[in-house]
Amino acid sequence: MSKITKSSTAEYFAKNLQQVGFSSPLKAVLTTLKEAVDNSLDACEEHGILPDLDIEVTKVGNGSTKNTDLVRIVVEDNGPGIDPDNIAKVFGEYLASSKFGRGQCSRGQQGIGISAATTWAQMTNARGVQVISKTKNMRKAISAQVDVDIKTNTGVVKNKEMIDWKNKNTGVRVEFLMDGRIQLNGDGGLQTYIEGTALLNPHVTMKFKLGDLDWQKSDRVSNDSPDIPEATLPHPHTFKLGEFITHATLYGKISVSKFLKTGFSRVSDQSISDFVKAGMPKSLVEKPITSLSEEDFKKVFQAVQATQLMAPSTKSVLTVGEDSLSKSINRLGKVDFFSVVTRKPTICDFKPVVVEVALARFIDRGNEDTPVQLLRFANRVPLQFDKSGCAITWAIESVNWKSYGLSQPKESLPQGPYVFAVSIVSPFIKFKNASKETIDASEELVEEIRRALMQAGQKLSRHIKHEMKEADLERKLAHIEQFGPILVEKLVHLAGANDARRKKAEEGLKKILGRDSEVAVSQLEEAQSKLAEQKKKEAKKMGISLDEDVDRSDGGTASDEDDAEATKTKKSTKKQKK
Amino acid sequence: MAGLAKIRELRLDIPKEAKNLAERMLKDLENSKRPYLEAVKTSLDNSEYNAKVGYLTPGDKVVRTELNVSSVQKLARVVFMLEILLRNLDIGSVNTKRELYYICKGLIKGNSRYKPLDFDSQDESDSIIDFIGDMLEVYREELNCFANDRGGQTYSQQLLVTETMPDGTKANVDLSTLGTSPFQPKNKPQSLKLKAKKKIDFCLVVESEGTAGTLQAMGFTKRNNCILMGAQGVPSNGVRGWCKLIENQLDVPMYFFGDLDAYTMQNIFRTLKAGSAASLIRNGDFSAPNVRFLGVLPSDVKKYDLPHYNVKESDPQEARALKKAKDALENDPFFRDKRNKNLSDILRWLIKEKIRCEQQSYFSVDPRDPIKTEKIILEKIKRGDYV
Repeated sequence: MSKITKSSTAEYFAKNLQQVGFSSPLKAVLTTLKEAVDNSLDACEEHGILPDLDIEVTKVGNGSTKNTDLVRIVVEDNGPGIDPDNIAKVFGEYLASSKFGRGQCSRGQQGIGISAATTWAQMTNARGVQVISKTKNMRKAISAQVDVDIKTNTGVVKNKEMIDWKNKNTGVRVEFLMDGRIQLNGDGGLQTYIEGTALLNPHVTMKFKLGDLDWQKSDRVSNDSPDIPEATLPHPHTFKLGEFITHATLYGKISVSKFLKTGFSRVSDQSISDFVKAGMPKSLVEKPITSLSEEDFKKVFQAVQATQLMAPSTKSVLTVGEDSLSKSINRLGKVDFFSVVTRKPTICDFKPVVVEVALARFIDRGNEDTPVQLLRFANRVPLQFDKSGCAITWAIESVNWKSYGLSQPKESLPQGPYVFAVSIVSPFIKFKNASKETIDASEELVEEIRRALMQAGQKLSRHIKHEMKEADLERKLAHIEQFGPILVEKLVHLAGANDARRKKAEEGLKKILGRDSEVAVSQLEEAQSKLAEQKKKEAKKMGISLDEDVDRSDGGTASDEDDAEATKTKKSTKKQKK
Repeated sequence: MAGLAKIRELRLDIPKEAKNLAERMLKDLENSKRPYLEAVKTSLDNSEYNAKVGYLTPGDKVVRTELNVSSVQKLARVVFMLEILLRNLDIGSVNTKRELYYICKGLIKGNSRYKPLDFDSQDESDSIIDFIGDMLEVYREELNCFANDRGGQTYSQQLLVTETMPDGTKANVDLSTLGTSPFQPKNKPQSLKLKAKKKIDFCLVVESEGTAGTLQAMGFTKRNNCILMGAQGVPSNGVRGWCKLIENQLDVPMYFFGDLDAYTMQNIFRTLKAGSAASLIRNGDFSAPNVRFLGVLPSDVKKYDLPHYNVKESDPQEARALKKAKDALENDPFFRDKRNKNLSDILRWLIKEKIRCEQQSYFSVDPRDPIKTEKIILEKIKRGDYV
C-alpha cells in the first residue's frame, strides 16, 4: 500500500501556483504587482490614509527559465506599515489574513496572493521578497528578506536589519525579483492595470515606471479616502451545511439560538421561533452548539433554510460614486463625452451587490472599427484575463447597443473609441477561480449589470442623439437654400408667370423660410447653450476649471448615489494582512 | 396622340389643373403665405367600403403638405416631376415609373442647380409620382405613366376583343384563333371592347398562372364556354382593370380559385374584388366587385381530404400574415362589412386553425385523373359551393 502523506498549504500552492494567477510569466508579473498594490490600498483605506504609491516594474536581466526575463517589481506605499512581528506571516504564510470571510468589501480576501508571489520569486530566483516597513511607533524602519518555508507553511525572515528610511514616517516597500515577462498594453497589460486602478481609485496618486517607459504620474482627483463600510455578518441562506458547521466552531460554547443570532445577519428572536415552526426541535434552541451532533446540525440547518428571512442588508457595499468616477475618467485620456451610473445596492443570489458603470468616448484612444476597451473590476480590482467567461462581458453582449447609437456586431462587444468600465462591489463576490480573473455569471447578477449598462447607455444615447439633432438642424438650413429657388423657378414656369412675379415670389419665399431658419438657428443656439451649461456642470463634477480642455461631457446627472445608504468607516483593530 | 389610352371619361383637364395649382402656390408665395399641396389620404384608416358599389372608396381625410424647412424638398420635387409629366402629356410620350426615374436623373445631371433634387432610389421618385396622382385625383395612366403589368393571361373559345389603336384604327382579336397562346390585356384594358361569339357561362380567375396553363392544356376552354384567366399572384392594375371590363361588358359570373391562406384572402382576393387602400382613387375602375371566392374553401379541406400545412408562427412572413389577418378583421372596412361576413369567417377560421391549403392540392384527390381538378371546379360552380 502506498504511503499517505499530508502536505502543507504552502506545498499545495507551491505546486499549483497557476490556480492563483501564476500560470505564465506574463501573468506572474501582473499578479504580483496586483497583490502588492491591493494590499497597500487596503491598508491605507483601513487607516484613512490617502495612498501615494511608487511602482516600478523593470527588466533587469535574463530569467532562469526559458523565454523569461528577470523582472524587478517594487511597490512602495505611505500606509500604516506592518508590525515587524507580523512581517513573516504576511509575506510567508498562506491563509494568514485579517480579511478572510469577514464580509467586508476589501480587495484582498483570503490571504493567498502575496504569499504566492513570494513563492514564485523564491522558486524562480531563489529569493523571496525584500521588505522594508515602518509603523508610527518605530524609530527606524525594518528591512528584511522573507521566504516561505514550503514544508511548514511559515514565513522565514532573513538578513533582518534596522535602517534609516529616507524621511518616511510610515509605509511599506516590497521588492520582488522573479522570472516573468512584461507586457504593457492590451487586456493583460500593466498599463491597462494602472489605468483601471486609477479609474476606480480616484483618491490614489501613483508614480510609476513600467518597462522601458519613463516615469509617469497619475495624481489623485479626490481627497476623500473611501468610507469602508462595516463588515457584515453572513446571511444564513448563503451557507451550505458544511460551512454552517465550520462557522459554528468559531463561536465556542454558546447556545444555538445565540449562535444563530450573533453569527448571522437577519436572524431575530422572531426568526428563532419561526425556525422551530419550520421543524427545528425546540430542545435544541438553548443547547450549547458544542454539544450538537451532526444530525442536530442538519435539523437546525434545514429549518433555517426552510424559513423565510429578510434579505441581507446592503449597507456593507461600497461605491466609488458617480462624482468620483466622472473625475477619474479624465485620468485615462481626452474624454469626448461620458456617462456614469451607480446603481443602488441590491441583492443578487442573497449577497449584497452594487454595480457601477462608466462609459466614455475618447478623442485620443481607440477607433470606430475596433471593439470598445472593456475594463472589468471586482471590489475595485481590475480583472484582466479570461474576459469571455465573465458575467460582465455576458451582460454587455446581451445589451442591444445599436439602440443607443453604437455599432455592434452580433453577440459581441460594441465598437468605437469607447472605454466601458464595469465595477462590481460586494463583500462576497463569487469568482470562477482563486486567481480572481472572472466573476461567475449567475442570472441575477448578469441582469443587474445589464440594467446598469442600459441606464448608462440611455444617458450616452442622449448625447449621441443630441449630436444628431445638431446635424439635422444644419441639414434643414441647407435645404432651404437649396430647394427654395428650384421651387420658385418651376412654379413660375408652370404658371407661365413673368419675371416680376418671380422676384416677388422669391422675396416671399425668403420671408417664409427666413422665419423657419431663424427658428432653426435659435433652436441650435439653445441646444448649444444647454450643452455649455452641462459642460460647466460636468467640469465642476470633474473638479477642473472650464479653461482646461474638458471638451464635451455628459452623463452623471441624476445620481442614484443619494439613495445609497450611509456607510461608516470601521477602523479595524485586527492585524492587517500586509 | 393624347388620348392614347383613355381609361374613363375624365372631366378634368390635367394641364389646366396643374397650371391653376402652380398659380395658386405662386400667389401664396408672392403674399408671403405658405403654399400647400393636398392629396387624398390613401390608407386603410381613410378607406370606406361602400357595399352598393362594392369597392373601397376614399374617406374625407387629406394629406396636407405645407411649405416649411422639412417639406421644401418634397414640394420642389413634386413641381419638378409635374413639369416632366405635363411635357409627356403634351407631346404624347409615355413612360414607366423606372424610366421616369432615369429621366429625372438625366435632367438633374444636365443642370447642377437641380442636384439637391436627385433621387437616391426609385422608391423616392415613385412616391412623388403617386402623390401627384392622388393630388390631382387622376390615374397615373392618365399622366401617361404606365406599368409593365404582369398576369391576366386569358384563354377563351368565345371571346372577341376589339382594340382601338392610338391612331383610331381598330384591331380585332378572336381568342379562339390564338392556339395555345394566351391573350394579355397588358396595361390598357380600358381601350378594349369585348364581345361574345356564343354565350359565355362563367369566367374563372386562377391565382396560379401555372395551374391556369395546365387547365387550358387539358382542354378546359374546349369543354366549357368560359373565360379562363391566370392572375399571377397579387393582381396587377392590368388584371384588375381587365376583370372590371369583363364584368361590365359581358355580365358573366366570375369566380376566383386560389390558395386557402390569409395572404390570398386579404392581398389577392380582396384587391381583386374591392381594390386596395393604396389605390383608393382608382378602385372604381380597378376592381371586380362581383367576383366570388370559389376555393379553396375551409369545407373543401375536409370534404376532399386535401393535404395542408400548419402555419409556422416562427416563420416571420407567415406570422406577419396572421397578424395582418387579425388586424384586417378589426380595421379593414371590407371585412368588417356584414355583407362580406362569409369571407371574414374564412379569415377567422384561418386564424383559429392556423393551417394553409394550396390550390394545387386538388390534384391529390384523384392523382390518376388529369382533369379531376376541372371536375371539382365545375361541380363547385354547379352546386353553388362558393362564397
